[in-house]
Amino acid sequence: MHRHLSLLLILLLPALLLGQEAARTNSIGMEFVLVPAGSFTMGKFAPVCAPAGTQDNVTEEQYQECVKQATAATRAGFKAEVPRPFYIAKYEVTQEQYQKVMGKNPSYHTQAIVGGPSEKYPVDSVTWQDAQDFIKKLNSMEKTKAYRLPTELEWEYAAFAGTDNDTQGTKAPAVAWFMSNSKYVTHPVGSLAPNGWGIHDMLGNVWEWVQDFYDYDTVPKGPKGPSKGTEHVLKGGGFQAHAKNVRVSVHAGGPGSVISTGFRVLMEAR
Amino acid sequence: MKRLSLLVAVLLTIGLSSASAQIGKIPEGFTPIFNGKDLKGWHVSHSSHHGNLLNARVVGGELLIGQNPIGEGGILLTDKRYKDFELYLEVKPDWGCDGGIFLRSNEDGNAYQITLDYMPKNSMGSFITEGIPALNGTGQRRPPDWQKIWKRDEWNSMRIRMVGEVPKVEIWMNDVQIVDYQDDKNHALGGVYAGMIALQIHYTNATTPRAIPNGVHRYRNIAIKELN
Repeated sequence: MHRHLSLLLILLLPALLLGQEAARTNSIGMEFVLVPAGSFTMGKFAPVCAPAGTQDNVTEEQYQECVKQATAATRAGFKAEVPRPFYIAKYEVTQEQYQKVMGKNPSYHTQAIVGGPSEKYPVDSVTWQDAQDFIKKLNSMEKTKAYRLPTELEWEYAAFAGTDNDTQGTKAPAVAWFMSNSKYVTHPVGSLAPNGWGIHDMLGNVWEWVQDFYDYDTVPKGPKGPSKGTEHVLKGGGFQAHAKNVRVSVHAGGPGSVISTGFRVLMEAR
Repeated sequence: MKRLSLLVAVLLTIGLSSASAQIGKIPEGFTPIFNGKDLKGWHVSHSSHHGNLLNARVVGGELLIGQNPIGEGGILLTDKRYKDFELYLEVKPDWGCDGGIFLRSNEDGNAYQITLDYMPKNSMGSFITEGIPALNGTGQRRPPDWQKIWKRDEWNSMRIRMVGEVPKVEIWMNDVQIVDYQDDKNHALGGVYAGMIALQIHYTNATTPRAIPNGVHRYRNIAIKELN
Protein backbone atom coordinates (compact mmCIF):
# COMPACT_ATOMS: atom_id res chain seq x y z
CA MET A 1 0.00 0.00 0.00
CA HIS A 2 2.74 2.44 1.01
CA ARG A 3 4.74 1.55 -2.09
CA HIS A 4 1.72 2.32 -4.27
CA LEU A 5 1.21 5.64 -2.56
CA SER A 6 4.87 6.63 -3.07
CA LEU A 7 4.67 5.65 -6.72
CA LEU A 8 1.54 7.72 -7.13
CA LEU A 9 3.23 10.72 -5.55
CA ILE A 10 6.28 10.40 -7.79
CA LEU A 11 4.02 10.24 -10.84
CA LEU A 12 2.03 13.25 -9.67
CA LEU A 13 5.01 15.39 -8.64
CA PRO A 14 5.58 17.13 -11.99
CA ALA A 15 1.88 17.97 -12.14
CA LEU A 16 1.95 19.30 -8.57
CA LEU A 17 4.83 21.55 -9.44
CA LEU A 18 3.23 22.67 -12.69
CA GLY A 19 2.57 26.38 -12.64
CA GLN A 20 5.35 26.95 -10.15
CA GLU A 21 8.31 27.82 -12.27
CA ALA A 22 11.70 27.80 -10.55
CA ALA A 23 12.13 31.52 -11.21
CA ARG A 24 9.78 34.40 -12.00
CA THR A 25 10.15 38.07 -12.85
CA ASN A 26 7.42 40.63 -12.13
CA SER A 27 6.28 43.77 -13.94
CA ILE A 28 8.97 45.98 -12.40
CA GLY A 29 11.77 43.52 -13.08
CA MET A 30 11.97 41.95 -9.60
CA GLU A 31 13.34 38.43 -9.90
CA PHE A 32 12.01 35.66 -7.66
CA VAL A 33 13.32 32.23 -6.72
CA LEU A 34 11.01 29.32 -5.80
CA VAL A 35 11.67 28.10 -2.27
CA PRO A 36 10.46 24.53 -1.68
CA ALA A 37 8.27 23.44 1.22
CA GLY A 38 10.17 21.82 4.08
CA SER A 39 11.25 22.25 7.65
CA PHE A 40 14.27 23.29 9.70
CA THR A 41 15.31 23.94 13.28
CA MET A 42 14.83 27.51 14.44
CA GLY A 43 15.49 29.30 17.73
CA LYS A 44 18.73 27.60 18.71
CA PHE A 45 21.00 29.46 21.14
CA ALA A 46 24.13 28.15 22.82
CA PRO A 47 26.57 30.53 24.53
CA VAL A 48 30.11 29.14 24.75
CA CYS A 49 32.52 29.98 27.58
CA ALA A 50 36.24 30.69 27.31
CA PRO A 51 38.22 28.14 29.33
CA ALA A 52 40.10 29.16 32.49
CA GLY A 53 43.30 31.07 31.71
CA THR A 54 42.14 32.51 28.37
CA GLN A 55 43.80 35.90 27.91
CA ASP A 56 44.56 35.90 31.65
CA ASN A 57 40.95 36.91 32.25
CA VAL A 58 39.18 33.70 33.34
CA THR A 59 39.62 31.88 36.62
CA GLU A 60 38.50 28.27 37.02
CA GLU A 61 35.68 29.45 39.28
CA GLN A 62 34.50 32.01 36.69
CA TYR A 63 34.64 29.36 33.96
CA GLN A 64 32.49 26.98 36.01
CA GLU A 65 29.97 29.77 36.73
CA CYS A 66 29.93 30.71 33.04
CA VAL A 67 29.25 27.10 32.03
CA LYS A 68 26.43 26.90 34.58
CA GLN A 69 24.79 30.08 33.24
CA ALA A 70 25.44 29.12 29.60
CA THR A 71 23.78 25.74 30.13
CA ALA A 72 20.75 27.44 31.67
CA ALA A 73 20.55 29.92 28.77
CA THR A 74 20.96 27.30 26.03
CA ARG A 75 17.94 26.64 23.85
CA ALA A 76 17.54 23.57 21.67
CA GLY A 77 15.23 25.40 19.28
CA PHE A 78 12.08 24.05 17.68
CA LYS A 79 10.96 22.53 14.40
CA ALA A 80 9.85 25.25 12.00
CA GLU A 81 7.72 24.16 9.07
CA VAL A 82 7.15 25.68 5.68
CA PRO A 83 4.02 23.86 4.48
CA ARG A 84 3.87 25.38 0.98
CA PRO A 85 6.51 26.60 -1.46
CA PHE A 86 6.87 30.36 -1.89
CA TYR A 87 8.79 32.76 -4.07
CA ILE A 88 11.34 35.03 -2.47
CA ALA A 89 13.06 37.94 -4.20
CA LYS A 90 16.48 36.94 -5.45
CA TYR A 91 17.76 40.37 -4.39
CA GLU A 92 17.02 43.06 -1.84
CA VAL A 93 14.63 45.73 -3.18
CA THR A 94 16.75 48.10 -5.25
CA GLN A 95 16.63 51.88 -5.34
CA GLU A 96 15.40 51.63 -8.94
CA GLN A 97 12.50 49.35 -7.96
CA TYR A 98 11.58 51.52 -4.99
CA GLN A 99 11.60 54.60 -7.22
CA LYS A 100 9.36 52.86 -9.80
CA VAL A 101 6.77 51.93 -7.21
CA MET A 102 6.89 54.82 -4.75
CA GLY A 103 8.10 57.63 -7.00
CA LYS A 104 10.91 58.52 -4.60
CA ASN A 105 14.20 57.20 -3.29
CA PRO A 106 14.93 57.73 0.42
CA SER A 107 18.39 56.12 0.24
CA TYR A 108 21.59 57.56 1.68
CA HIS A 109 23.73 55.55 -0.74
CA THR A 110 23.07 57.57 -3.88
CA GLN A 111 25.57 58.62 -6.55
CA ALA A 112 27.15 61.25 -4.29
CA ILE A 113 28.15 58.54 -1.83
CA VAL A 114 28.87 55.49 -4.01
CA GLY A 115 30.52 57.42 -6.85
CA GLY A 116 28.38 56.09 -9.70
CA PRO A 117 24.82 55.18 -10.64
CA SER A 118 23.05 53.73 -7.59
CA GLU A 119 19.96 52.17 -9.22
CA LYS A 120 21.09 48.61 -8.54
CA TYR A 121 22.02 49.32 -4.93
CA PRO A 122 19.57 48.21 -2.25
CA VAL A 123 17.14 50.87 -1.10
CA ASP A 124 18.10 51.98 2.40
CA SER A 125 16.70 54.32 5.05
CA VAL A 126 13.31 52.62 4.98
CA THR A 127 11.18 51.90 8.01
CA TRP A 128 9.03 48.78 8.40
CA GLN A 129 6.02 50.94 7.52
CA ASP A 130 7.77 52.17 4.35
CA ALA A 131 8.22 48.52 3.35
CA GLN A 132 4.51 47.87 3.97
CA ASP A 133 3.53 50.90 1.87
CA PHE A 134 5.76 49.67 -0.97
CA ILE A 135 4.18 46.22 -0.85
CA LYS A 136 0.65 47.62 -0.75
CA LYS A 137 1.35 49.70 -3.83
CA LEU A 138 3.08 46.84 -5.66
CA ASN A 139 0.06 44.57 -4.98
CA SER A 140 -2.22 47.30 -6.26
CA MET A 141 -0.11 47.88 -9.41
CA GLU A 142 -0.25 44.18 -10.27
CA LYS A 143 -3.83 43.66 -9.04
CA THR A 144 -2.77 40.89 -6.70
CA LYS A 145 -2.42 40.12 -2.99
CA ALA A 146 0.58 37.86 -3.47
CA TYR A 147 3.30 40.23 -2.24
CA ARG A 148 4.22 40.63 1.42
CA LEU A 149 7.26 40.69 3.69
CA PRO A 150 8.58 37.24 4.62
CA THR A 151 7.98 36.14 8.19
CA GLU A 152 11.13 35.63 10.24
CA LEU A 153 10.62 31.87 9.83
CA GLU A 154 10.38 32.11 6.04
CA TRP A 155 13.35 34.48 5.93
CA GLU A 156 15.58 32.11 7.95
CA TYR A 157 14.43 29.11 5.94
CA ALA A 158 15.37 30.86 2.67
CA ALA A 159 18.66 32.09 4.16
CA PHE A 160 19.71 28.68 5.50
CA ALA A 161 18.90 27.26 2.03
CA GLY A 162 18.68 23.70 3.29
CA THR A 163 21.84 23.91 5.41
CA ASP A 164 22.24 24.45 9.15
CA ASN A 165 25.14 26.82 8.59
CA ASP A 166 24.55 30.05 10.50
CA THR A 167 27.28 32.03 8.72
CA GLN A 168 26.68 30.38 5.33
CA GLY A 169 30.28 29.23 5.24
CA THR A 170 33.66 30.30 6.48
CA LYS A 171 33.97 32.32 3.28
CA ALA A 172 31.47 34.83 4.60
CA PRO A 173 33.09 37.70 2.67
CA ALA A 174 32.20 35.89 -0.54
CA VAL A 175 28.47 35.93 0.23
CA ALA A 176 28.00 39.02 2.40
CA TRP A 177 28.95 42.69 2.41
CA PHE A 178 29.71 43.54 6.03
CA MET A 179 32.17 45.52 8.16
CA SER A 180 35.25 43.62 7.02
CA ASN A 181 34.82 43.98 3.25
CA SER A 182 32.23 46.68 2.49
CA LYS A 183 34.40 49.79 3.00
CA TYR A 184 31.41 51.04 5.00
CA VAL A 185 29.01 51.46 2.07
CA THR A 186 26.37 49.25 0.44
CA HIS A 187 27.07 47.48 -2.86
CA PRO A 188 24.98 46.63 -5.96
CA VAL A 189 22.64 43.74 -5.18
CA GLY A 190 23.82 40.34 -6.38
CA SER A 191 27.47 41.31 -6.73
CA LEU A 192 28.54 38.48 -4.42
CA ALA A 193 27.83 34.75 -4.68
CA PRO A 194 24.27 33.54 -3.92
CA ASN A 195 23.39 30.97 -1.27
CA GLY A 196 22.64 27.34 -2.15
CA TRP A 197 19.15 28.22 -3.41
CA GLY A 198 20.34 31.05 -5.65
CA ILE A 199 19.35 33.92 -3.34
CA HIS A 200 21.77 36.85 -2.95
CA ASP A 201 22.68 39.11 -0.02
CA MET A 202 20.54 37.38 2.61
CA LEU A 203 23.45 38.22 4.89
CA GLY A 204 24.95 41.72 4.84
CA ASN A 205 24.49 44.75 2.55
CA VAL A 206 21.33 46.00 4.31
CA TRP A 207 19.42 44.71 7.33
CA GLU A 208 16.08 43.33 6.14
CA TRP A 209 12.73 43.95 7.78
CA VAL A 210 10.52 40.90 8.24
CA GLN A 211 6.82 40.80 9.07
CA ASP A 212 7.07 39.78 12.74
CA PHE A 213 6.85 42.02 15.76
CA TYR A 214 10.00 41.95 17.90
CA ASP A 215 9.59 39.97 21.13
CA TYR A 216 12.60 41.30 23.10
CA ASP A 217 14.12 37.83 23.36
CA THR A 218 17.50 36.36 22.41
CA VAL A 219 16.01 34.07 19.76
CA PRO A 220 12.40 33.41 18.72
CA LYS A 221 10.36 31.36 21.22
CA GLY A 222 8.20 29.72 18.57
CA PRO A 223 7.35 29.68 14.87
CA LYS A 224 5.16 32.80 15.13
CA GLY A 225 6.17 36.20 16.47
CA PRO A 226 3.99 38.00 19.05
CA SER A 227 0.55 39.21 17.96
CA LYS A 228 1.33 42.78 18.95
CA GLY A 229 4.33 44.94 19.68
CA THR A 230 6.05 48.20 18.89
CA GLU A 231 9.20 47.24 16.98
CA HIS A 232 9.74 44.67 14.23
CA VAL A 233 12.42 42.06 13.64
CA LEU A 234 15.52 42.84 11.57
CA LYS A 235 17.55 40.07 9.91
CA GLY A 236 20.88 39.51 8.20
CA GLY A 237 23.01 42.48 9.28
CA GLY A 238 24.09 45.41 7.15
CA PHE A 239 27.20 46.64 5.35
CA GLN A 240 28.48 48.08 8.63
CA ALA A 241 27.65 45.05 10.78
CA HIS A 242 30.23 43.10 12.74
CA ALA A 243 30.53 39.41 11.70
CA LYS A 244 28.69 38.43 14.89
CA ASN A 245 25.52 40.01 13.48
CA VAL A 246 26.02 38.54 10.00
CA ARG A 247 24.45 35.21 10.88
CA VAL A 248 21.13 33.73 9.81
CA SER A 249 19.85 33.17 13.37
CA VAL A 250 20.53 36.70 14.67
CA HIS A 251 17.23 37.98 16.04
CA ALA A 252 17.53 41.76 16.07
CA GLY A 253 14.86 44.39 16.49
CA GLY A 254 14.12 47.85 15.20
CA PRO A 255 14.48 50.72 14.80
CA GLY A 256 17.96 49.79 13.52
CA SER A 257 20.59 52.02 12.01
CA VAL A 258 18.71 54.03 9.38
CA ILE A 259 21.17 54.00 6.47
CA SER A 260 21.73 50.25 6.67
CA THR A 261 18.10 49.15 6.72
CA GLY A 262 16.17 47.81 3.71
CA PHE A 263 13.96 44.83 2.85
CA ARG A 264 13.15 42.00 0.47
CA VAL A 265 9.77 40.89 -0.85
CA LEU A 266 8.04 37.50 -0.73
CA MET A 267 5.54 36.47 -3.41
CA GLU A 268 3.12 33.72 -2.51
CA ALA A 269 3.10 30.78 -4.92
CA ARG A 270 -0.44 30.19 -6.17
CA MET B 1 65.40 63.80 33.88
CA LYS B 2 64.87 63.00 37.55
CA ARG B 3 63.60 66.55 38.09
CA LEU B 4 61.12 66.08 35.25
CA SER B 5 59.80 62.83 36.78
CA LEU B 6 59.42 64.61 40.11
CA LEU B 7 57.51 67.42 38.44
CA VAL B 8 55.20 64.91 36.69
CA ALA B 9 54.63 63.10 40.00
CA VAL B 10 53.79 66.37 41.75
CA LEU B 11 51.42 67.45 38.98
CA LEU B 12 49.77 64.03 39.03
CA THR B 13 49.28 64.23 42.79
CA ILE B 14 47.73 67.69 42.49
CA GLY B 15 45.48 66.38 39.72
CA LEU B 16 44.41 63.39 41.76
CA SER B 17 43.70 65.36 44.91
CA SER B 18 41.56 67.88 43.04
CA ALA B 19 39.73 64.92 41.47
CA SER B 20 38.98 63.35 44.84
CA ALA B 21 37.60 66.68 46.00
CA GLN B 22 35.17 66.68 43.10
CA ILE B 23 34.11 63.06 42.81
CA GLY B 24 30.47 62.33 43.62
CA LYS B 25 29.22 65.68 42.36
CA ILE B 26 28.13 66.88 38.94
CA PRO B 27 30.26 69.90 37.97
CA GLU B 28 28.61 73.27 37.60
CA GLY B 29 27.02 74.03 34.23
CA PHE B 30 26.23 70.38 33.44
CA THR B 31 22.68 68.99 33.10
CA PRO B 32 22.01 65.44 34.37
CA ILE B 33 20.95 62.92 31.71
CA PHE B 34 20.52 60.04 34.17
CA ASN B 35 17.95 60.67 36.92
CA GLY B 36 19.18 57.99 39.34
CA LYS B 37 15.74 56.37 39.42
CA ASP B 38 14.98 54.81 36.07
CA LEU B 39 16.15 54.65 32.46
CA LYS B 40 14.11 57.62 31.25
CA GLY B 41 15.95 59.20 28.32
CA TRP B 42 17.83 55.98 27.53
CA HIS B 43 17.07 52.81 25.56
CA VAL B 44 18.74 49.46 24.88
CA SER B 45 19.78 48.82 21.27
CA HIS B 46 18.21 45.70 19.75
CA SER B 47 20.64 45.63 16.85
CA SER B 48 24.10 45.82 18.41
CA HIS B 49 26.49 42.97 17.67
CA HIS B 50 27.49 43.01 21.33
CA GLY B 51 23.99 41.81 22.10
CA ASN B 52 20.38 42.86 21.64
CA LEU B 53 19.15 42.73 25.23
CA LEU B 54 21.67 44.42 27.51
CA ASN B 55 20.82 44.08 31.19
CA ALA B 56 20.52 47.74 32.17
CA ARG B 57 18.98 48.58 35.55
CA VAL B 58 19.09 51.20 38.30
CA VAL B 59 20.13 50.01 41.76
CA GLY B 60 20.56 52.42 44.66
CA GLY B 61 20.83 55.42 42.37
CA GLU B 62 23.47 53.76 40.21
CA LEU B 63 23.11 52.65 36.61
CA LEU B 64 24.33 49.06 36.21
CA ILE B 65 24.93 47.38 32.86
CA GLY B 66 25.80 43.72 32.36
CA GLN B 67 25.35 40.76 30.06
CA ASN B 68 21.93 39.23 29.32
CA PRO B 69 22.05 36.27 28.89
CA ILE B 70 25.64 35.28 29.50
CA GLY B 71 27.73 35.88 26.40
CA GLU B 72 25.54 38.73 25.15
CA GLY B 73 26.42 42.31 26.11
CA GLY B 74 25.01 45.31 24.32
CA ILE B 75 24.68 49.07 24.39
CA LEU B 76 22.47 51.53 26.25
CA LEU B 77 21.82 54.62 24.12
CA THR B 78 20.60 58.11 24.92
CA ASP B 79 17.31 58.84 23.15
CA LYS B 80 18.72 62.24 22.21
CA ARG B 81 21.46 62.95 19.67
CA TYR B 82 24.25 65.41 20.40
CA LYS B 83 26.65 67.39 18.23
CA ASP B 84 29.18 69.34 20.31
CA PHE B 85 29.26 68.67 24.02
CA GLU B 86 31.07 68.04 27.23
CA LEU B 87 30.05 64.83 28.95
CA TYR B 88 30.76 64.17 32.62
CA LEU B 89 30.21 60.84 34.31
CA GLU B 90 31.51 58.65 37.09
CA VAL B 91 32.20 54.99 36.50
CA LYS B 92 33.12 51.98 38.63
CA PRO B 93 33.59 48.81 36.57
CA ASP B 94 34.14 45.28 37.80
CA TRP B 95 37.64 44.06 37.00
CA GLY B 96 37.55 41.66 34.05
CA CYS B 97 34.77 43.45 32.15
CA ASP B 98 35.24 45.25 28.84
CA GLY B 99 32.96 48.18 28.20
CA GLY B 100 33.13 51.64 26.76
CA ILE B 101 31.53 54.98 26.08
CA PHE B 102 30.32 55.43 22.50
CA LEU B 103 30.03 58.90 20.99
CA ARG B 104 28.07 60.04 17.93
CA SER B 105 26.68 56.52 17.76
CA ASN B 106 23.93 55.15 15.56
CA GLU B 107 21.38 52.60 16.75
CA ASP B 108 23.66 49.64 15.97
CA GLY B 109 26.64 51.12 17.83
CA ASN B 110 28.79 52.27 14.92
CA ALA B 111 30.54 55.08 16.75
CA TYR B 112 33.58 56.85 18.13
CA GLN B 113 34.56 55.07 21.33
CA ILE B 114 36.38 55.61 24.60
CA THR B 115 37.66 52.30 25.90
CA LEU B 116 36.82 51.05 29.36
CA ASP B 117 38.46 47.71 28.73
CA TYR B 118 38.96 46.91 32.39
CA MET B 119 40.85 43.63 32.14
CA PRO B 120 44.42 42.34 31.89
CA LYS B 121 46.60 43.80 29.09
CA ASN B 122 43.93 46.27 28.01
CA SER B 123 43.39 50.01 28.14
CA MET B 124 41.16 52.57 29.78
CA GLY B 125 40.41 55.93 28.25
CA SER B 126 41.80 55.32 24.76
CA PHE B 127 39.94 57.10 21.98
CA ILE B 128 39.27 54.63 19.15
CA THR B 129 36.47 53.62 16.77
CA GLU B 130 33.80 50.91 16.87
CA GLY B 131 32.48 49.74 13.52
CA ILE B 132 33.63 52.83 11.64
CA PRO B 133 36.94 53.39 9.80
CA ALA B 134 40.11 53.59 11.93
CA LEU B 135 41.36 56.99 13.09
CA ASN B 136 44.21 58.83 11.43
CA GLY B 137 44.21 62.28 13.00
CA THR B 138 46.80 64.00 15.14
CA GLY B 139 47.56 64.17 18.84
CA GLN B 140 47.45 61.88 21.83
CA ARG B 141 44.60 59.37 21.94
CA ARG B 142 46.05 56.37 23.80
CA PRO B 143 47.00 57.34 27.36
CA PRO B 144 50.12 55.40 28.34
CA ASP B 145 49.81 56.01 32.09
CA TRP B 146 46.14 55.42 32.79
CA GLN B 147 47.01 52.89 35.54
CA LYS B 148 48.58 55.72 37.54
CA ILE B 149 45.42 57.81 37.33
CA TRP B 150 42.72 55.16 37.64
CA LYS B 151 41.54 54.10 41.10
CA ARG B 152 40.71 50.41 41.20
CA ASP B 153 37.41 49.43 42.83
CA GLU B 154 36.53 53.08 43.38
CA TRP B 155 34.50 55.67 41.51
CA ASN B 156 36.43 57.45 38.79
CA SER B 157 35.38 60.55 36.89
CA MET B 158 35.57 60.94 33.12
CA ARG B 159 35.05 64.24 31.33
CA ILE B 160 34.88 64.21 27.56
CA ARG B 161 34.81 67.26 25.33
CA MET B 162 33.90 66.65 21.67
CA VAL B 163 33.66 69.66 19.38
CA GLY B 164 33.32 70.09 15.62
CA GLU B 165 31.91 68.10 12.73
CA VAL B 166 35.48 66.94 12.23
CA PRO B 167 35.88 66.48 15.93
CA LYS B 168 38.49 67.63 18.36
CA VAL B 169 38.33 65.35 21.37
CA GLU B 170 39.72 65.94 24.84
CA ILE B 171 39.32 63.50 27.70
CA TRP B 172 40.09 63.91 31.40
CA MET B 173 40.28 60.92 33.74
CA ASN B 174 40.00 61.97 37.39
CA ASP B 175 40.75 65.52 36.18
CA VAL B 176 44.00 64.53 34.48
CA GLN B 177 43.93 65.10 30.74
CA ILE B 178 44.64 61.81 28.98
CA VAL B 179 43.48 62.50 25.39
CA ASP B 180 43.99 65.54 23.19
CA TYR B 181 43.16 64.50 19.65
CA GLN B 182 42.17 66.29 16.44
CA ASP B 183 40.48 64.03 13.87
CA ASP B 184 41.32 64.50 10.18
CA LYS B 185 37.76 63.88 8.96
CA ASN B 186 34.33 63.02 10.29
CA HIS B 187 34.51 59.24 10.83
CA ALA B 188 30.93 58.82 12.10
CA LEU B 189 28.90 56.41 9.96
CA GLY B 190 27.08 58.21 7.19
CA GLY B 191 28.98 61.40 8.03
CA VAL B 192 26.49 62.33 10.73
CA TYR B 193 27.35 65.21 13.04
CA ALA B 194 24.74 64.53 15.73
CA GLY B 195 24.78 61.08 17.32
CA MET B 196 23.78 59.23 20.45
CA ILE B 197 25.90 58.56 23.52
CA ALA B 198 26.04 54.90 24.47
CA LEU B 199 27.37 52.80 27.35
CA GLN B 200 28.67 49.40 26.28
CA ILE B 201 29.25 45.91 27.66
CA HIS B 202 31.23 43.60 25.36
CA TYR B 203 30.04 40.19 24.16
CA THR B 204 31.95 37.05 25.13
CA ASN B 205 32.49 33.67 23.54
CA ALA B 206 34.99 30.77 23.57
CA THR B 207 37.88 32.95 22.40
CA THR B 208 36.74 36.40 23.57
CA PRO B 209 36.62 36.38 27.38
CA ARG B 210 35.84 40.08 27.79
CA ALA B 211 33.49 39.89 30.78
CA ILE B 212 33.15 37.84 33.94
CA PRO B 213 29.89 36.13 34.97
CA ASN B 214 27.56 38.65 36.68
CA GLY B 215 30.14 41.41 36.11
CA VAL B 216 28.86 44.95 35.60
CA HIS B 217 29.93 48.48 34.84
CA ARG B 218 28.37 51.00 37.26
CA TYR B 219 27.67 54.63 36.34
CA ARG B 220 26.40 57.65 38.25
CA ASN B 221 26.29 61.44 37.89
CA ILE B 222 26.00 61.30 34.11
CA ALA B 223 25.60 64.85 32.86
CA ILE B 224 26.09 66.91 29.73
CA LYS B 225 26.86 70.45 28.69
CA GLU B 226 25.76 71.06 25.11
CA LEU B 227 28.02 73.43 23.25
CA ASN B 228 25.91 74.35 20.24
